[in-house]
Amino acid sequence: MLKEALATARDELVSQTRLAYGGLFAVRQYAARLDEIITRIHLAAQKLTETPHALVAVGGYGRRHMCLHSDVDLLMVFDGAIGAAEKRAVKAVLHPLWDLRLDIGHQVRELGDTATVDTDNPEYLIALRDARFVAGDKTVFERFSDVCIREGAALEEPTLAALRDLVGQRHTQFQHTLYQLEPDIKDAPGALRDVSAIRLIAALDRQAQPLKFRAGRLNEAEDFMLRIRSILHLERGRNLNVLTHELQETVASAFGSPGEKPHTQVGALMSTYFHHARIISRGLASTVAPRPQTPPPDPVPVGDGLVGREHQISFLDGTRASLQPHLWLGAFEAALDHDSEVSDQVLTCIERHGDRYSPERFFPGKAERDRLLRVLRPRPGLYARLSEMHASGLLGRMFPEFQKIYCHVIRDFYHKYTVDEHTLLTIRNLERLGDPKTPGRRRFGGLFAELDRPELLVTALVFHDVGKWTNRNHCEEGVRMAETALRRIRMPEPDIANVSFLIRHHLQMSTAAFRRDSGDPEVVEQLARLVGTEERLKQLCLMTLVDVEAVGPDVMTPWKEDLLWRLYVDTYNRLTLGYGDDVIDPAATSLEALLETLPPDITQTDLDAFLEGLPRRYLRTVDPKQVYDHVRLGRDLGPSDVHCSLGRDLADSVRELTVVSVDQPKLYAKVCGVLSYFGMDILRGQAMSNTHGVALDVFQFTDAEQFLGQNASAESELIHRLQEVVAGREDIDRTLAPKQRGLARRRSPHIKVVVHVDNQYSDRFSIIEIIASNAWGLLYRISRVISDHDSNIDLVLISTEGDRAIDVFHLTRNGGKLTGAETDSLRDALLEALAAADAP
Amino acid sequence: MKIVKAIVRPNKVDDVKDALSQNGVSGMTVTEVRGHGRQRGHSTVYRGSEYEVSLLPKIEIEVVVPDALVDDAINAIMKAARTGEIGDGRVFVIPVEQGLIIRTGEEDVV
Repeated sequence: MLKEALATARDELVSQTRLAYGGLFAVRQYAARLDEIITRIHLAAQKLTETPHALVAVGGYGRRHMCLHSDVDLLMVFDGAIGAAEKRAVKAVLHPLWDLRLDIGHQVRELGDTATVDTDNPEYLIALRDARFVAGDKTVFERFSDVCIREGAALEEPTLAALRDLVGQRHTQFQHTLYQLEPDIKDAPGALRDVSAIRLIAALDRQAQPLKFRAGRLNEAEDFMLRIRSILHLERGRNLNVLTHELQETVASAFGSPGEKPHTQVGALMSTYFHHARIISRGLASTVAPRPQTPPPDPVPVGDGLVGREHQISFLDGTRASLQPHLWLGAFEAALDHDSEVSDQVLTCIERHGDRYSPERFFPGKAERDRLLRVLRPRPGLYARLSEMHASGLLGRMFPEFQKIYCHVIRDFYHKYTVDEHTLLTIRNLERLGDPKTPGRRRFGGLFAELDRPELLVTALVFHDVGKWTNRNHCEEGVRMAETALRRIRMPEPDIANVSFLIRHHLQMSTAAFRRDSGDPEVVEQLARLVGTEERLKQLCLMTLVDVEAVGPDVMTPWKEDLLWRLYVDTYNRLTLGYGDDVIDPAATSLEALLETLPPDITQTDLDAFLEGLPRRYLRTVDPKQVYDHVRLGRDLGPSDVHCSLGRDLADSVRELTVVSVDQPKLYAKVCGVLSYFGMDILRGQAMSNTHGVALDVFQFTDAEQFLGQNASAESELIHRLQEVVAGREDIDRTLAPKQRGLARRRSPHIKVVVHVDNQYSDRFSIIEIIASNAWGLLYRISRVISDHDSNIDLVLISTEGDRAIDVFHLTRNGGKLTGAETDSLRDALLEALAAADAP
Repeated sequence: MKIVKAIVRPNKVDDVKDALSQNGVSGMTVTEVRGHGRQRGHSTVYRGSEYEVSLLPKIEIEVVVPDALVDDAINAIMKAARTGEIGDGRVFVIPVEQGLIIRTGEEDVV
């Protein structure tokens, strides 16, 4: 009889499930059938004991959410000691249930014990909150409820704490994202357990926000999840709740999802899934958010039309703001600047009004574009704010290109998240490099801290997988889409070129590191040629790290990190130490790009003569216009002539000086000396010479003392002094001597001086790498020591990372490398000179 | 029955897998490992600072094969993994006393 009753109940649920109606109504109905069966079993069992007792449903059974293979969680509470008779009664309940092949979870307690808080069993504490009388003595159940469940009961606080812990642990397992490609319908963020958590927190926590969204939306989301869960139980024959790729087709078909092909139907199903998961997720977030203070503090202005209050940014006038879409991004910028969230008022405004506006309306001018780049600077909170922008639809409105990958599913073994969530996770991973936790990650954290324009890397990450909406080569498609978007907002072309490079080649470094022999010099050479500069290498390396890590948990292992780091170091060394051996031979080098746009005043012969013998790196670090300018500067050079040009970059704070002259002994020291005299802080630069003895030195520096900025004649004074010094008419050493003490007194934070000599890496040069505190006059002191040791400075690479100067000199003596003794002597002299400068 | 354990370069794992598969060996265990041979790794310089890279990333592949297939498996691995340079790796053969299938409890006759 019991078997038939259960079979009928299950058949009922199965029929509804096959039609995708196994939601709230169906699972409650099945729970009610189970109640009837258990009540009948209890009728016989209760005769075995005289102790009053109650049979209580807890957990999912208590909530009446019984899918086909859900556990039946029972608690038997006895109002008295549990002896032999009570144990027989328990068995008389459990054995028939086991014989019916139900999965039973059971606990047996004495009523007196239930007042003792069992904090070692958090799941039990939480399960009790759904306790429901099934059979037995109702008085016992009511007394049990008084202790465990009613308001003011002693178990409320530990239950809340246990619930918050469990939610946190569970979300951590899923990387705190609801955008799982194969979601666990029960446990994933935004799934069924979160619904239970919302209701429980709202019921227990007097400080919790009341449910801010319509309860109907939550019920609808819960019903949807249960309908899927019922199908999973039916198909798998067990209590397994992961919506695998294979089962997504089955579920989509059962739901009648639109589309002719299975993958279209699955796309529609998963889009609906993520919609409901987001509702649940937002519900949980707003339920756990602290209740606003009463009375609320006064709002504080934080930007144009924006106010901040209790760590939330809102519009001062929501109605006015709804008509000014170009200001919406400002709310997110203010939230980042003030370590706050964006309020529901802002998000709701964007959701309601966003579809009115074309992408151009969000970026009417340069100010809005600049604001976007400020927002995209990686820092704590960026992932959260971008997630809000995405969830509210702002990101997709500003960039329809990004909207193409909304909830886009990639079905393969490794990818765990939708493409849009994967994209945001790459940015989260980059954000975390700001505070790396392991020694392995600190290496990469160092690179992150050195990036010149980290917002360009973030821009590249935003667009790097947008091309996946098609089946075409997603890298090239991504470049095409990104360039369209970035030109629309009038991003400068050099920045677009940087972003496009990263998108186009974002898989290359992982291929080289993990699929090729990264120790092979040819692999390193190819990567060095691809990236061209240290900055691009750092960008690509970090992009690879965060991209692989965002594929899924444990994809980027410490082992892979080591491989990636090794490749980075070898390529960095190739770029900075090995570039001198790779020179331009116009007969063998492709100069098509330069010849295509050759101006009328420059012949190919002029171009070839200038470029011959320069390192090939030069062509990767300057654009054609700069090359033509350099060729013009190199014309009609007398032995003591100096031709130079002084420019200003777009950021208006860094100046660039280009000096072209006939190579001569101590030339580099002289030029550095002049710049030091005028107090210029040299940040970056390179120096080289061609086969015909023409030296080209390029310096980027800041005018720290505003000499150029505040003196109309400063430029001509600087150029005149340069000409005098190079021509030998002024001794810069003597001119600088009185200033030396002043220069030395301007101390930078101490960096341990490193002077490393490498006589093996290059076939032609002895290489000296110097790390020291960035200080005025540093390059002058170094180059003077080198020159005093009769060494010729053939190539120089200058870079500055924060307070640290990193300078690489390629030297020769009498046309060849220095001997071991000569390099030792030079190293000692450099260490002495740099130590003396650092001395108090 | 023998375990054939190979330690190879990371970029050779696909070649070795394919070579084994072509020789009728399908089940395998692949592990990311670090190690060094007699050369004890090497040192490298980054920004003027020298540091030792004594434990190099490698891949360890283990297959269990019947005695009759051992030579074929070894030859397949050696051919696929070799570059001729230091760091190509090693192959070891280890006897197996017994193997059991967890799902069925049966003795594994490879």
